[in-house]
Amino acid sequence: MDKLIDDEMLVAQFQAGRQNAFDELMKRYKSKIFSYLLRSVRNYEDAEDITIEVFFKAYRALENWQPKAKFSTWLYKIASNLAIDYHRAKARNPVYALDDAEIPETHLVATDIHSDPVKQLEEKERGLIIREAVDQLSPKQKAVFMLTRYEGLQLKEVAETLDMAEGTVKVHLHRAVKRLQTLLRPLWENNDI
Amino acid sequence: MPKCKKSEGQAIDYAYKVLPPAEEVPFKEHLKNCQDCTEAVESYTAALELTDQAQAELVVPEYALRNIEMNVYKRLAASQEQTWFSRLGTYFTSVGSPFGRYKTAAVSSVAIALIVAAVLIGKPPQPEQTFQLTEMQSAEARIEEYREQGIQWNLEEALITHHLRNDAWETESQLNRMKEQAQGTSWTKVADKHLQNLQSGTLNKTQQN
Repeated sequence: MDKLIDDEMLVAQFQAGRQNAFDELMKRYKSKIFSYLLRSVRNYEDAEDITIEVFFKAYRALENWQPKAKFSTWLYKIASNLAIDYHRAKARNPVYALDDAEIPETHLVATDIHSDPVKQLEEKERGLIIREAVDQLSPKQKAVFMLTRYEGLQLKEVAETLDMAEGTVKVHLHRAVKRLQTLLRPLWENNDI
Repeated sequence: MPKCKKSEGQAIDYAYKVLPPAEEVPFKEHLKNCQDCTEAVESYTAALELTDQAQAELVVPEYALRNIEMNVYKRLAASQEQTWFSRLGTYFTSVGSPFGRYKTAAVSSVAIALIVAAVLIGKPPQPEQTFQLTEMQSAEARIEEYREQGIQWNLEEALITHHLRNDAWETESQLNRMKEQAQGTSWTKVADKHLQNLQSGTLNKTQQN
């Protein structure tokens, strides 16, 4: 299929009954959506399941979709909502969190780094600690941070994606960056970077 | 944390590269004279660089993406099937009022009777014309298409393993997996042919040794 055809045109083709158009949309976005969800949920299986759910929901809703926003923004909106639901469900269900064999969310990153930085800050562990810090953001802060930082969405698009005012997006973004700075500060204060 | 609270938001925006162009030049000027904000920008930038590095390690492997489309269509097919049964249930419950308190039992009996009749006659029950399963059929066709694509990928992978790694055992395992996946299709013959070729190649090697 012609790569020059824009997403909205493909949606129109799908709405006109051309099934292949949806396949092309999946092909274009599956990697982006999977990556976004993987960064958000940090579990391959869950990211895959939610990615499938995103496209399933998109397929069901696409028939009545109106091009008020970009298709990609709409798709990220579905993914973000599902990711937020996932985090809420996970927060409500401590058994599920333990099954995931992850460090509990209450774990204080900075405290651990101070206690024994030389031994603990091996390369892999450092990556884990940093991602844990990102996990400590609230679901909305995390969504704003991920969408702007790694998905390349503009603040306006994030506002549309998350149904927020642009000013609110900025507030979440500021809080997210400040929180990350607080949590990760020990890493560079101990000359580990 | 910067003591210069007035520009804290701008410091974050500047580090994040989302500061509006109109504010950028004045803020750069401000930075020249404000040690607090300079340190804040450095600190935010360091935090962001760290998260960028850590996030870059999270890479989606190609194989993880292979079955997405097929699984989406499987999900659609399953949902359509569910809808079909729920519609069937709704259809029977909607006519259930004359049954009164025995409605559930009556509906179940009618449903079982219909299923049994359908099995005996060899024809699925079709209470309404609106139960056309076009979407489900479409999903099934797509599932088959993606299944075939998956078979081809597995074959390619097996051949790559053979040619690049010369790992006969792994190649054989991959071909067997492909053959298993291809049950009921002509791809099993392709798998058999490659397995035979592999075996003869391995035997030749053994003879040379």
